[in-house]
Amino acid sequence: MRFSSLLALLVLLPSLARAQPPAEGVEPTDANSSDGFTLRYTIERIEVRGNHKTRTDLILREVALSPGDTVTADDARVERARLRLLALGYFLDARLSMIKGERRGSAVLIIEVEERGTIILNAIHLGTSEATTLWGGLDVSERNLLGRGLTLGAGFVSSTRPKVDGAEPALAFSLRMAGPPKLQGLLFSGSALFSRGSEFFRAHGASDQPDPADFVAVNARRAGGIVGVGTVLSRTAYLLGEGRFEAVRADWPALQMRDLGQGQSQPIAFLVREGSSRLGSLALTLDLDSRSDPVLPRAGRHLVVSLEAATPACASQYTFVKATAQGSLYFPLRVGHVFGVHGLLGGLVGDAPYFDRFFVGDLNLLLPPRAFGINFSTQPSRDFLGTGVADHRYDKLAGRLLLEYAVPLWRRHGLFYRGDAFAALGIFALTNPDDLRREGASLGQRIPADLTADLGLRLDTYIGIFTLSVANALGRLPL
Amino acid sequence: MMWYPGRLAALITLALAATQAMPARAQEPEERKTGINRHDGRLLISLGLQDLFKAQDTQHLLSGFTSRVLVRVAIFRLDSPQPVSQTMRHTEIVYDLWDEKFRVRRFEAGGRVETREASTASEAIDLATALVAFPVASLDRLEPGVTYRLSVRADLNPISQELLADVRRWLARPSSRSRTGSGDSFFGSFVSIFVNPRIDESERQLRLVSQSWAEPAR
Repeated sequence: MRFSSLLALLVLLPSLARAQPPAEGVEPTDANSSDGFTLRYTIERIEVRGNHKTRTDLILREVALSPGDTVTADDARVERARLRLLALGYFLDARLSMIKGERRGSAVLIIEVEERGTIILNAIHLGTSEATTLWGGLDVSERNLLGRGLTLGAGFVSSTRPKVDGAEPALAFSLRMAGPPKLQGLLFSGSALFSRGSEFFRAHGASDQPDPADFVAVNARRAGGIVGVGTVLSRTAYLLGEGRFEAVRADWPALQMRDLGQGQSQPIAFLVREGSSRLGSLALTLDLDSRSDPVLPRAGRHLVVSLEAATPACASQYTFVKATAQGSLYFPLRVGHVFGVHGLLGGLVGDAPYFDRFFVGDLNLLLPPRAFGINFSTQPSRDFLGTGVADHRYDKLAGRLLLEYAVPLWRRHGLFYRGDAFAALGIFALTNPDDLRREGASLGQRIPADLTADLGLRLDTYIGIFTLSVANALGRLPL
Repeated sequence: MMWYPGRLAALITLALAATQAMPARAQEPEERKTGINRHDGRLLISLGLQDLFKAQDTQHLLSGFTSRVLVRVAIFRLDSPQPVSQTMRHTEIVYDLWDEKFRVRRFEAGGRVETREASTASEAIDLATALVAFPVASLDRLEPGVTYRLSVRADLNPISQELLADVRRWLARPSSRSRTGSGDSFFGSFVSIFVNPRIDESERQLRLVSQSWAEPAR
């Protein structure tokens, strides 16, 4: 028998040996069973200790045991309750124990918790590019607001004035709130936002040149929010519905034609309505997750499918439908390494604004990604395959396939709990229905694609999850 | 060098991680002197693993809920990573609140189940963690003249992989939509999570190796 099979058998042993709960109507007894091992107790009362901030009713809800319930010494609900408390993220430790009750066979259930700080760092935004000298920001969350398990998150990003003519410094704020995590029932969340920034559109020069002087800026202000409600469908399935509304104000530049050279020019598609506009949408997201771990998975699958529709019925002046499917498969290898396959497929129909389209920086790991929806760079994709992908920044159809190899480096060490080194190589494509149908064009021209890669460390720490990647630096190498 | 979102945090983290990672080398399995005997065609070992329990665990043994100890032993040739033989012992300890005594039940790989009583926590711990003349392999599986070593792993309150995966999913339950990757989340997200080192395969692990020995001719 393989050692892993033996281990699985051994881990199952306790549950196999576990006593069945008494049948309904049968009086629980304190008497030992014939093997002297199956001890049962009736819970007389429950005491919660150590919770200076977290409300007692929140803890009792997670434990899901009540006075009058019968528990056995090896009751699976007890271990599950302890892990649920730990998984909330509010406690450094949680312990369940019993002491004798008033009558023989009864017990007082003691729940002892050790609270921890619950402010976590979601992201630090800090960067520089050829177009923007510096941008920076923070995103933090308090996960146990007022001891009620509410999450309150806030973030901002700010930048220097981009070197693109007419561009303005970026500034964005986000405020988010979510209800306490639940295994059943509905989970409510809401977000509010404000952003002011510029998007860059090429007016001169070759597509593969990132010179900011070749671009013009659309200055946009966005303000709005999202209200969401989610529910757990099964152990591995989660469904989320969201409603979104934004007020958008966009100022177009004076120069609205692109110089194609040789005396030719064409209008620039700014992909956002000039002046004030509204965007309203409804979205549905299904999350199927059977990974062994959400941060550093060793096996399993993760599929997220979302559908968003913006229509006049939602008070929207933009009408579009956007569908995205992202999937990951993880395969454990013999030496503890992991091979991962990540796929993304997205399509959009209608007149979505640029910030809702598929952006090259989000697909190509070698380019700077957006922060709070704001792009800070004019850098095009490198076009390693010679398909003219540098012309494509925001588009309606996108796909990406990424192969990743991860090597665990360490486990269980202080503040830095776990760490993996990883290397990834992939290909992405970004196109639109017009290019796809272009007559006489090659496959590369119809579906412009490029290689992408990443190399770095993924760290799982007490204050959040961080990825150290050299992809952006690789993208700047003069190859 | 280019700096992009998260880079600074990651670099700070990396720098600190470098100092954190150093003890990792010091945590190679400890070599522990192990008694090795041969009797009735079997290789028997004697080894104490009482240090799997810390002082606070003694109090937890009185909780009235079952504590579990899983000990796994494998024999390796020094020149091969594949085990020649492996075995285990799983022990449950429960304190009877009303009779005020410990009950200890041991399951061994051969299917043998043994139930004992103990009047003190240390006695119960000994029953769970002391391997005394513990059979680990048939001598038929060991070649005379070849050098072997034992690898021992003990886990306090191991958690099933299925439950562990459930818990980690609870940790990461998304409450906001992520569109095309991490960089485009205009509204931010709640997906960053706490990691609690107590949510692991077990509450505590002990990994040891024995001294190596050359199997004598028979």
